[in-house]
Amino acid sequence: MIEVKGLYKFFDNEPVLEDINIKFRPGNCSLIIGASGSGKTVLLKNIVGLYEPDKGDIFYNEHNFTKMTLSERKMFRKEMGMLFQGSALFDFATVEENVMFPMDFFTPWSKEEKLERVNFCLKRVNLENVNKLYPSQISGGMQKRVGIARAIALNPKYLFCDEPNSGLDPTTAIVIDHLLQEITQEYQITTVINTHDMNSVMEIGDHIGFIYKGKLLWEGNNEEIMHSECKEVNDFLFANNLARQIIKNR
Amino acid sequence: MRLLFQIAGEYYQLMLRVFKKPEKWSIFWRQFWKEGNKLMLASIPLISIISVFIGAVIVIQTANNIESPFIPKFYVGVMARESLVLEFCSTSIALILAGKIGSNISSEIGSMRITEQIDAMEIMGVNSANYLILPKVCASTLLSPFLMIVSFLLGLLGGGVIVALTGIITLAQYDEGLHFAFNEWFIYYSMIKMSLFCFIITSLASYYGYHAKGGSLGVGRSSTQAIVVSCTVILVFDLLLTKLLL
Repeated sequence: MIEVKGLYKFFDNEPVLEDINIKFRPGNCSLIIGASGSGKTVLLKNIVGLYEPDKGDIFYNEHNFTKMTLSERKMFRKEMGMLFQGSALFDFATVEENVMFPMDFFTPWSKEEKLERVNFCLKRVNLENVNKLYPSQISGGMQKRVGIARAIALNPKYLFCDEPNSGLDPTTAIVIDHLLQEITQEYQITTVINTHDMNSVMEIGDHIGFIYKGKLLWEGNNEEIMHSECKEVNDFLFANNLARQIIKNR
Repeated sequence: MRLLFQIAGEYYQLMLRVFKKPEKWSIFWRQFWKEGNKLMLASIPLISIISVFIGAVIVIQTANNIESPFIPKFYVGVMARESLVLEFCSTSIALILAGKIGSNISSEIGSMRITEQIDAMEIMGVNSANYLILPKVCASTLLSPFLMIVSFLLGLLGGGVIVALTGIITLAQYDEGLHFAFNEWFIYYSMIKMSLFCFIITSLASYYGYHAKGGSLGVGRSSTQAIVVSCTVILVFDLLLTKLLL
């Protein structure tokens, strides 16, 4: 479980995150939603340690991540996987080498064992026969799936995704969402997903946190969000005609 | 002034991260040879062409400027050798490399920074500075003296070819000049300079790439800064080393 307690983050003395308190549980897809610029990515980067919080603590299974030394964090990071908005696959490496990258560093496995794991991970994300291709030679959706394969290569306990559906067509986005949900449930991973894709909210939102101007305004699940009485949540959810129409038809 | 101290501090912090023991030596050596091939071996064609032509030009210019009958003709060879070994094969070649490999390194690392590839490594627990920069710095610092030797030999060859083709002096006179009052310390001096200059180029270019921000414009800006700063620092250290070592 990940627990964020009283988290504050300032940029140029301006608060970007204010008093964030939230828990993310294993086996759940936890979604952080909110408008662009609301502080979702800053929160995620604080949780994974790419930014240092100005105040507050982040606990991973009761271990205080913010108080850890660099070497302690390094040990912890081996249990984390992250899918970036732009996939962040290494340009210099093939798909196979990308997925193998964390194994090269942190496992004593032989080349054959690593290759077996690579093929397993790629098969798990429904990708085959792309091992020798470079990221530039595959589509955006395939790049996201390679990113997921790389993120799960070392059986992480925590999976973080920053806008996994950005730039994808709705069908591919749903495939990615379901894949993340399946992996989360299958391996009992604590998954935190940043998104403003309403499809994802409805499809996989086991737990949803709504961020508005740096504050956590609302928490619940994909059923509860439809009946939320928080004005900002409703404004966000029903910003487009399609969403309004769906609700009306219910 | 504040910016200068900030850059110096960030550079120092980065170098502390770079010069950590590699996670796995096998990965380091694989990267070392890869970078050696990409940064040094791949520079040989450019260095060769420039060295041959500059060697030839030095011989022609020196021969044309020696008008006094009291200066022996073989001094053309002496001048060509000294010009090449003392300044051209280290400093001038390093300035050329600052443009070639400096921009290559800063744009490569800068692109990785803005596309979050470096963040991805950090999340995995990989020391990205050590993995990306140490092999480049080590390969260029250790292999560049050989590049200096190649440049020196090809510069002398270029001079020899022009002597043979134009007959400004005889080949025997040129050869005598190359051997006259030869000080082997100058070769070591030039190799030391080249090695230090390549350290400056790779570490500064890596620094600017690693701290790139603001999209593709930021990557372009970091490349330009890397080249300008590297060239300036090379010239300052050229002066210092010449005063110290000669």
